[in-house]
Amino acid sequence: MFLRNPFTKALFDARRSLLGWALAVTAVGSMYAAFWPSVQSPEMQQALAAYPKGVLEAFNYDDLTSAAGYLGSSVYGLLVPLLIVVFSVGAGTRAIAGDEEAGTLDLLLAHPVGRVRLAVQRYAALLVALAVIVTLLCLAMLALRGPAQFDGVTAGELAAITLQLLLFGGFFGALAFAVGAATGRKGLTLGISAGVAVLAYLANGVIPQVDGLAWAREVSPFHWYLGGDPLVNGVQLAGPLLLIATTSALLATGTWALTRRDVAT
Amino acid sequence: MADLAISTEKLVKTYGRNRGLAGLDLAVDTGEVYGFLGPNGAGKSTTIRLLLDLIRPTSGRVTVLGADPRRGGVALRRRIGYLAGDFVVDGRQTGQELLGYLANLRGGVPRRRIAELADRLDLDLSRKIKGLSKGNRQKIGVVQAFMHSPELLILDEPTSGLDPFLQQQFVAMVRAARAAGQTVFMSSHVMSEVQQTADRVGIIRDGRLLTVERVEELRERAVRRVEIHFAEPVPLAEFSALPGVSDATVDGSTLRCRLDGRADALVKAAARHTVVGLLSEEPDLEELFFSYYSTGEADRVSA
Ligand SMILES: Nc1ncnc2c1ncn2[C@@H]1O[C@H](COP(=O)(O)OP(=O)(O)OP(=O)(O)O)[C@@H](O)[C@H]1O
Ligand SMILES: [Mg+2]
Repeated sequence: MFLRNPFTKALFDARRSLLGWALAVTAVGSMYAAFWPSVQSPEMQQALAAYPKGVLEAFNYDDLTSAAGYLGSSVYGLLVPLLIVVFSVGAGTRAIAGDEEAGTLDLLLAHPVGRVRLAVQRYAALLVALAVIVTLLCLAMLALRGPAQFDGVTAGELAAITLQLLLFGGFFGALAFAVGAATGRKGLTLGISAGVAVLAYLANGVIPQVDGLAWAREVSPFHWYLGGDPLVNGVQLAGPLLLIATTSALLATGTWALTRRDVAT
Repeated sequence: MADLAISTEKLVKTYGRNRGLAGLDLAVDTGEVYGFLGPNGAGKSTTIRLLLDLIRPTSGRVTVLGADPRRGGVALRRRIGYLAGDFVVDGRQTGQELLGYLANLRGGVPRRRIAELADRLDLDLSRKIKGLSKGNRQKIGVVQAFMHSPELLILDEPTSGLDPFLQQQFVAMVRAARAAGQTVFMSSHVMSEVQQTADRVGIIRDGRLLTVERVEELRERAVRRVEIHFAEPVPLAEFSALPGVSDATVDGSTLRCRLDGRADALVKAAARHTVVGLLSEEPDLEELFFSYYSTGEADRVSA
């Protein structure tokens, strides 16, 4: 049943690691969310107020006085997106370049499987895996709303950030996928993707603090994901559209390059 | 062109500054078994990967089953079975799972057919592939290439890692494929691996085809060792000057010699005495090819 085509096969092969990732991301997110009642205490608020604003901004800690602000900063602002980037880059790299360097892509492409079809199905599997992870995290947040006292955040707002987190992961997955599909080299793909992720992170919180570089935030996928506060204002327009547009461009370019080049043994 | 399963014209493939193929002209008839021989680095795997559209030619033309491999795409590969020179698959699955998946990619293969092939090669499909020996992994490769009974089998060093018994099984499978009208194109380093099944062999060296020979004709031309036991001692002189005979020695009533070409003169000469026993070993075609493997010969032939 799971061995029907490259899409289901990819999901089937990733089943164990997917379970691990989903649990890890959910656990990390839940832990942060569970701290909210203690962060709310006056002593904690005073302590945080003592930090220089720049340091807090660098960590995406913009507003720690409201529940939405806290969740946006701690749960959805730092560790979870970083974990999502690591997962997506790993899965995107494995999809073509990893398979190719292992020497196993050869056999598949000698079968009646077109390169475009393979690319589409492999990326679709990545997206589905990502959806499983962010959905599980979202369900955990919904369940914790009462116990951790952030009822103020609505289900719709959680769904909004979940969708944007999915698009954000999809972008980095597409980046690694495209570089891997174009070059077939795993190390290079990981290097480039990690480099872009670090730059994107710095461009969101650190670089804009320099005079005259405020615009850097506008080109950061981190900003496209968190900008406009989806936890307060619901699904945004510009950020998600930019994520979708860049993702599509990366996928199209990577797949095109794959159809034109030699497959390595 | 309809009767050619594979044809290439002036096929060139360069890898950066490395030569892969330097103008290969190949013609494989539909329904024949074609042995593709050459030393390491000659360009066998390069040719095969070009036929499957895994890599693209630098220049020249390739036609497989009447289609260009790139344009023929999926529809063309449905009609081909391929075994790579270094058959590697993800080891975290069983043979059954892998073959089931590959069969699905081909639109389904009867379970019975897979089981029958596995049986024939004495292959346990229920074990995880990473736990299998090299030979057993190779068997999985052989099964996946044959299982859908493709019109064209393209096999890169198919018997590497197989023991002599399994090599015989493989020979039987190739013969069955030929009898069923399938075309087989297989590469090897050595003649002995293909001479049992091949109709023709092509020799490739330095990215060029040096010669193509019918195996049957090679056999006729080949030098073989012959031993004849007579009822009583025979004079050496009667045999040593016969056409095709060389290195003749007589040891009591036994004649030993090398025979080049037809056996007619030797047999007629022997028939004047009482022949007790006659031994003629399968000709060693290998010798013919060693000459092609060395540089000097290559120049002579291509000139
Ligand atoms: N990916 C590659 N990059 C650079 N050079 C390559 C590549 N693949 C093959 N070559 C070169 O092309 C030539 C032909 O190689 P090929 O693998 O086709 O030989 P072969 O006949 O299959 O050899 P073997 O019997 O060792 O398998 C060799 O000189 C090899 O170095
Ligand atoms: Mg080879």
